[in-house]
Amino acid sequence: MDITPDPEFTPQIALSRRALIRRAAIAAAALPAGAALLEGFAGTAAADETGQIVLNNYPGWIGKNELAAFAKKYPGDKVKMVTNATSSVAEVILQFKSGNFDVLLSDTTDSGQAAAAGLLEKLDWSKIPNIKNVSANFRKAYPWGIPTDYGKVGIAYRPDIVGEKITSWHDVWRLAPKFDGRVVFINLERDCLGSTLKYLGYSSNTSDAKQIDEAKKAVQKIKPHLQAFLNTNVGQGLVNGSTAIAMDWDYDVALLKQKQPKIEWVAPKEGMHAYLEGFSVAKDPDNIEVVEKFLNFALDPVQYADFVNTTGTAYVVPSASSHVKKYISTSPILKPTPAVLKRVEFDHYLGAKGTQLFDAAWQEVKAS
Amino acid sequence: MARGEGVVAQPRPKPIPRLAGWARKNALVAPTAVLTVVFFVVPLALVAVYSFGSVDPVSLDVGFGWTTDNYRAFASTLYLHSLLRSVFLSLGATAACAVLGFALAYFISRQPPRAQRLLLVAVIVPFWTSFIVRTYSWVDLLQNLGPIDRLAGTLHLTDSHISILYTPTAIAIGIIYSYLPLMILPIYVSLERIDASIYNAAADLGATPWRQFRRVVLPLAMPGVIAGSIIVGIPALGEYVIPEILGGGKTLMMGNILANQFQNTGNYPFGSALAVTLMGILMILLFVLRRKQPLGDVT
Repeated sequence: MDITPDPEFTPQIALSRRALIRRAAIAAAALPAGAALLEGFAGTAAADETGQIVLNNYPGWIGKNELAAFAKKYPGDKVKMVTNATSSVAEVILQFKSGNFDVLLSDTTDSGQAAAAGLLEKLDWSKIPNIKNVSANFRKAYPWGIPTDYGKVGIAYRPDIVGEKITSWHDVWRLAPKFDGRVVFINLERDCLGSTLKYLGYSSNTSDAKQIDEAKKAVQKIKPHLQAFLNTNVGQGLVNGSTAIAMDWDYDVALLKQKQPKIEWVAPKEGMHAYLEGFSVAKDPDNIEVVEKFLNFALDPVQYADFVNTTGTAYVVPSASSHVKKYISTSPILKPTPAVLKRVEFDHYLGAKGTQLFDAAWQEVKAS
Repeated sequence: MARGEGVVAQPRPKPIPRLAGWARKNALVAPTAVLTVVFFVVPLALVAVYSFGSVDPVSLDVGFGWTTDNYRAFASTLYLHSLLRSVFLSLGATAACAVLGFALAYFISRQPPRAQRLLLVAVIVPFWTSFIVRTYSWVDLLQNLGPIDRLAGTLHLTDSHISILYTPTAIAIGIIYSYLPLMILPIYVSLERIDASIYNAAADLGATPWRQFRRVVLPLAMPGVIAGSIIVGIPALGEYVIPEILGGGKTLMMGNILANQFQNTGNYPFGSALAVTLMGILMILLFVLRRKQPLGDVT
């Protein structure tokens, strides 16, 4: 399980990507006036210049040469990247509705809801032949646009502190009282309750009220022993040992292992909940031809490898492997075996009823 | 000479119409008034209108069926407990800010003018750094195996760890730290206005230092304390960034529920109903404070 740090690997972002986004989200929320200004700026960016499209993305979440290479290959066409992307569902839906963006980075849950609301453009896949480069399971899980990256929710822990091997979610619930105040969970309802549903042997995408209620009670049971529910730097405490066990994302653990080799990653035997992100296209984009050219370009193995090498994410285009840095392509955390990948369940939009059940259960967990 | 002879009759000045006179007098206020109406009153009215609407949970389109369901939903114990928690934490933090702020403001006001200026700059300096960054810095300070924990261990103040981070205590520390300057400044202004001869007069009349403080300084500084309490208490009640970062997501505050409605759930009508309710509570508190102290003294 050990990963030897690759000397050529220099993380492009000091924080993990989601950590950066959530901090930005908190800052934007704390400064609504500033956020409104940014939104207004984005609006002007969407001016309908011939050959220009507006991409809404996370900061730094693109190959460092990707946009320049696209402009070089397609002179006259331009992708203007605006970094207003967020992981907050309501904000993503508003962005799809705003008319300010042509292409938006969004995960399966958000794109699923946007599709249900009729906010997505149906793509002509014959114009995006590179979609064949994407593994079938990712393509199936993200049918609205091009999948770009994914992240699994598993367990990270310090064997030297815990003193035994952890292999399952059951181990986490069993050991929590022993490591009271040194266990950390993710502060996102789908990831936290989804992983708890896996612990209980259910689908993490269930809409069954009884199963969701069981998951809620299981989290409430372990909550008194938890150090925190965290959005950012979830496993940071594992580095100095103030945290013994963490429910965490794979990319976060891969980064932390660079700082503290004693941290171990576990793909729990009950299964893992995972997110899958991609580029979806808002209804009636200004330049659909440029959109199609860009999506196809982004899936070219060389360009896609640039994205993976820049961000250090788990990837969905196997043919890019030969161009991907060794640190990533050989990481058992970021590039799991097919057997492990079989135990991964990507989240999807649960419809109004399922979403409301999750929301209500999560509020009760937080209030208890 | 007959009365009135040789006196040139002066025409009586034409009276200015009442409305024109009023407009002339208030012309300078007009730009501010327009800005206030457009950017404060209208948005506030919109929030109130939204609070009676309903939302399509898929498209998040808001419909206005004029329902009171959002206010009824607020009556659930889950939200009431969060509201009470927020009120108590806010009151506690405001009281702590008032005590600490008074002591610091009093100390500053008793220094020579040059030292006062330097100390006031020191109070304001933290505002030069981002609020988020300052709040995150407390994570490093308060965490187990962090500098405070290590110091407490070295001094044998704790058996194991301080375990303050991600508790309501950490939230209170964060709120007090962030809002303390907002309490110090109005109290300082009140104290600085007190004529030094009043202290002398009180001493001449035989008042002990403690009696001087209780009967002279404190009453005269009270407008500053009330102004500071309003400036600190109102934002502290709706605070959600500090509970999120320092509370470790384990303490649900009103501000967190409200933010969740707008950012994640997309239930703007319910979020608006929460905001209107919170505003109502604050208005009641302000009304009570105003009855205790004329508003002219407060501001």
